Amino acid sequence: MSEPRPDPAALLAATGNLAILRPAQVVHGLVPSAAPKDGALDLFLLVDDTGTVTAFNGHVDLGTGIRTALAQIVAEELDVALDRVTMVLGHTGVAPNQGGTIASDSIQVSARPLRHAAAQARAHLVALAAKALGIPADELEVEEGIVRPRDGRNTGLSYADLLKGRADRLMLHQETAVKPASEHRIVGRRVPRVDIPAKATGTFTYVHDVRVPGMLHGRVVRPPYAGIDAGPFVGKSLIRVDEHSVAHVPGVVAVVTMGDFIGVVAEREEQAAEAARVLKTEWRDTPALPDLSRTEEALRGAEKAKTRLLHEQGNLDTARADAAQVLEATYVWPYQMHASIGPSCAVADVREDSATIWAGTQNPYWLRTDISLLLGLPEEDIEIVRFEAAGCYGRNCADDVAADAALLSRAVGRPVRVQLTREQEHAWEPKGAGQLMEVKGGINADGTPAFYDFLTRYPSNAAVTLALLLTGRVPADNPVYEMGDRTAIPPYAYDVMRVAVDDVAPIVRASWLRGVSALPNSFAHESYVDELAAAAGVDPVDYRLRHLHDPRAVDLVKATAERAGWQKRTGPRQEVVEGDIVRGQGFAYALYVHSKFPGYGAAWSAWVADVEVNTATGDVAVKRVTVGQDSGLMINPAGIEHQIHGNVIQSTSRALKEQVTFDEQAVTSREWGAYPILTFPEVPVINVVLMPRPDDPPLGSGESASVPSAAAIANAIFDATGVRLREPPFTPDRVRAALAGEAPPRPVKEKTRKPWLAMAGAALAGALGMATLALPIRGAIAPIAPPDPSAFSADMIARGKVLAALGDCAVCHTANGGIANAGGQPLHTPFGTVYSTNLTPDAETGIGTWSYAAFERAMREGIGRDGRHLYPAFPYTAFSRISDADMQALYAFLMSQPAVTAAPPENRMTFPFNIRPLMAGWNMLFHRPGQLQAEPAQSPQWNRGRYLVEGLGHCGACHTPRNALAAEKGGAAYLAGGFADGWEAPALTELSKAPIPWTEDELFTYLRTGFSRFHGTAAGPMAPVVHALSEVPDADVRAMAVYLASLSGPAIADPVAAAATLEAKAEASLRPMDTVGGRLFAGACAACHAPEGPTLFGARPALALNTNVHAARPDNLIRVILEGIPKPAVPELGDMPAFRDSLNDAQVADLVRYMRAKFAPDAPAWEGLEGTVARLRAAPTH
Amino acid sequence: MSAPILLQVNGETHAFALPRETPLIYVLRNDLGLNGPKFGCGLGECGACTVLMDGRATRSCVTTLGTAEGRAVTTLEGLATQGTLHPVQAAFIAEQAAQCGYCLNGMIMTTVAFLARNPSPTEAEARAALRYNLCRCGTHVEILRAVLRAAAGSDESMEAQP
Repeated sequence: MSEPRPDPAALLAATGNLAILRPAQVVHGLVPSAAPKDGALDLFLLVDDTGTVTAFNGHVDLGTGIRTALAQIVAEELDVALDRVTMVLGHTGVAPNQGGTIASDSIQVSARPLRHAAAQARAHLVALAAKALGIPADELEVEEGIVRPRDGRNTGLSYADLLKGRADRLMLHQETAVKPASEHRIVGRRVPRVDIPAKATGTFTYVHDVRVPGMLHGRVVRPPYAGIDAGPFVGKSLIRVDEHSVAHVPGVVAVVTMGDFIGVVAEREEQAAEAARVLKTEWRDTPALPDLSRTEEALRGAEKAKTRLLHEQGNLDTARADAAQVLEATYVWPYQMHASIGPSCAVADVREDSATIWAGTQNPYWLRTDISLLLGLPEEDIEIVRFEAAGCYGRNCADDVAADAALLSRAVGRPVRVQLTREQEHAWEPKGAGQLMEVKGGINADGTPAFYDFLTRYPSNAAVTLALLLTGRVPADNPVYEMGDRTAIPPYAYDVMRVAVDDVAPIVRASWLRGVSALPNSFAHESYVDELAAAAGVDPVDYRLRHLHDPRAVDLVKATAERAGWQKRTGPRQEVVEGDIVRGQGFAYALYVHSKFPGYGAAWSAWVADVEVNTATGDVAVKRVTVGQDSGLMINPAGIEHQIHGNVIQSTSRALKEQVTFDEQAVTSREWGAYPILTFPEVPVINVVLMPRPDDPPLGSGESASVPSAAAIANAIFDATGVRLREPPFTPDRVRAALAGEAPPRPVKEKTRKPWLAMAGAALAGALGMATLALPIRGAIAPIAPPDPSAFSADMIARGKVLAALGDCAVCHTANGGIANAGGQPLHTPFGTVYSTNLTPDAETGIGTWSYAAFERAMREGIGRDGRHLYPAFPYTAFSRISDADMQALYAFLMSQPAVTAAPPENRMTFPFNIRPLMAGWNMLFHRPGQLQAEPAQSPQWNRGRYLVEGLGHCGACHTPRNALAAEKGGAAYLAGGFADGWEAPALTELSKAPIPWTEDELFTYLRTGFSRFHGTAAGPMAPVVHALSEVPDADVRAMAVYLASLSGPAIADPVAAAATLEAKAEASLRPMDTVGGRLFAGACAACHAPEGPTLFGARPALALNTNVHAARPDNLIRVILEGIPKPAVPELGDMPAFRDSLNDAQVADLVRYMRAKFAPDAPAWEGLEGTVARLRAAPTH
Repeated sequence: MSAPILLQVNGETHAFALPRETPLIYVLRNDLGLNGPKFGCGLGECGACTVLMDGRATRSCVTTLGTAEGRAVTTLEGLATQGTLHPVQAAFIAEQAAQCGYCLNGMIMTTVAFLARNPSPTEAEARAALRYNLCRCGTHVEILRAVLRAAAGSDESMEAQP
């Protein structure tokens, strides 16, 4: 199912149809778009001689089902079957400009002309039939597009018949009578949505699925001031883009830079993603943000543009003086996000003098204005083709990405699709603004409200389309919108009242989010009235009803309370369920009043929330929500019920869990771990009460049921605990603090430590130099012509191949994405970077001219054919143990590979290691060449294992600690744990920190499959080692396991039981929702790592048993989190993504701190985590 | 470039001359035009990109082509057989279990894999099985109904077997 987009001109040029038109209108809204040309007409409805109805609406379907509801309205008024109607929504130049799809107005407001157009078309068609049939119009009826006499005579004419050869053009008559509800056959029925079958089968085309011929893929690189869009630095902070940094990425077509806007364009999507990921950029520092973890202080500190007095009646001073009790309360709303499940995406095709943009925007005509401004093209030469996207619930990045795509398409002269990353959508989407509500009021001696003095403070939310700001096209001095006033007037008849709003400057990028400013304002109104009721000792529902005079509101409140089984009370009941669990029930009501003040109402909504609070843990579970709604005439009651469910779940999520986090510079909630939303187990039972009002006009239902949410839940928590919460989200830590009478906890920032300094080696030059003097100079060995592979027996080559796998030659000697053994892989040592050499028999760049003698000398002594010393990053100290027969086979294999011409880059060693001859001294000090002698007391299998481990396998190269000169230590230090390439290679001896000692079987399984149930997964440099071992026969892997097992400590009797104990201990140790790290784990890691997670492809390592979690140093755990496991040892393990670009240092530190405490509760906490993360993040990776 | 990587997708074998580290989701979407799997997070957190690989739910945004090599991949498009909807798809349509529908692919694919393991789950089990599939529209109620409807349906069809 693709988005229908007929050409109105073509439709109107054809005959055999009836069109209803209206002069195009100037839309005065938040964004003034260009006035239409004189005489321009909008097409609203077209009925043709095939019986098809095409209807046009300027509002778009944001996943709420208005495509279906609008079609119902048209089908109803026209009396055609629903499936005859095709809705055309939102495309500029096709659908009428009816403003943005905002404020729940699609059915309540923007559907009106369409409804009248359909009624008018029906009347016209009936009149035509009357004439043709010779029967008066009032004696005719219409059923499924066929006009017939009411008296049942067997005659009739279809709309299709009536329109043959005609081209009727009618101007919309807005007063055309529409059907009374009593005659509705389609409206008011629960109708299945037209889009769901296609969505459930993968045949629906979202904007993400749009592909046009010649299309390239783009990604953007955003500035570090993520989510901030006001201030003189916006658009002016980029210092430099290093285009060379993406030179190695294939398929890159362009790097585009304009001001602070950066984009990359590539042939393939993953190429664009990779280029954007690795592109090096340099930015100026930007000013520090206020501490937004203290929302109240940040809001008070924001610059005020003005205070607007919205309402004033009575004398506040007198009322206050006369009050029996004065109550003052401050309510705070956090910054929250829309958090669309799909990051925004758009396709643009910008030509010399025109542009087409495929976008998921909620306001196509506003977007066209923005694109016109951005590209300098007239609006009429720009087409916005509107496709559905992921639900947005207000303004997400849909417009931003459309503008990004336009810039990139113009730069490369081809259509470009831009997909934002999850991190970009989270960080840059205009947030739902924080808000501060202060209420002063009180009660009289009789319990009635004495006065109500309400001040709401709202930071602005203009959220100018990002590309306009980043390119400097529009200055980043966002206008201050007057949008804090939605539902600012309380619904209760307070005799003495003042309501005012402070319009303040934006703090961070914000825009409207479902229930904009009304949800926070109602949170205050409805919490406060509950506080008054408690102070007056009156049941909260009764108290409301005494002061609520809107009859529809009264009906709704009563019906909802009754359905919920409302329990009357005069104070918090604090009913104990069992143990620490208490239960409560809370009420709230709101008429969502929106749009420019004083605005108008959408649907009425009331909530009863049933909650359980664990007073020990602070957990709040919303068990059941009974929600009543009066939507007037319900076009599609199923759709309304669905919207109510969605509002209840989303707003419960907002009340319980959601708050955007920031550091000094930017938004730090960049994925779902840092911004958790409600999950399936947390979803309450929802009972919906729909008020039947078929004779009243239909009202917007997209947001109303969100508005009472937070207050109903806070009121329920009060009923359960007697404690009043005035700042969502009601997280366990806040609830516990409130129960303990403390101020809510704030995140404590760990001080950033200075980066770890690599060990300097300069002082060692002297010692090495002295040793060098004593050495003979080694000469070159004469080059030979590359040997003919046929000189080696096939068997010998095959044996050599296995030996090469055992020796992991290709692990180091293959560059990332390069040809096996052709070298060029950087090896990062504390002493500099060594690039591995080309081991293929290429004469110029490889070892083609190396005789066996030269090869053997290199392998055993670390001296190249030309006499130059090799760095001991090449483990010749181990290879000297190799037997002659194996050495010869290895040579045969290497020399029979295809020759590859590839010269490795120059090594970059630090002094003194950059002086190669000094390595001769190193050899004298540390190298003990010689083949291994079997130990007769041990089994042949053990000896075979030792030969492989100590020789070709060179396990010690990583797993043995090295001295200050990078030589492996001996004695007890052998295999006692080392560092390789920035990864910790754990001890293989009894010094191992593995919580369950290794056994021969587990070692075998691990080396064979890359995974041990008791230890975890091979990652980092061990993954390719296991991968290489896949070519080695079981017998040799078993021998290695036998030998290594003999080094580890004694096995324990029942490892399965020990594992269960460890896992149970971890399970009991910490609750994820209690800490930032725990929440990160739950959102980012648990899908693959929690024992109870879904059964997904790949291994599910038990972290309570994982060596890295129990290790003395956090390095491996941090590296795996930062880098993921991009190349698992075997595919069956599955891939692990890198979180480097999704979590900042503090978040990784929080996560690691949590994992240590949770999964290794007996191990000491790691110190200085944030510094370690910073160091490892800066370390080179490959 | 090494030998092409073979992959069986919805019953057909395809060869790709692409790097092994290419994310599976881009191969499915851009090379094969299979739009069922949706890009949601790129981190395996939300489940929108779920496909079946050898019958197991797999997050295609974090799975490489190399990992998928030689396996049977099923996407949302491959669930229906000879024009007949998969019972899980039919149940999701019957329960109208979508608002924007962007997460729907992941919900359906995860449910297919889940019901294959647990054909008659309790509601609590269904909630736990979908714990790591995120929906922002709040369609959870309809989705849970769909899962239970599909489970009941599969029971019936099993009972109807001779």
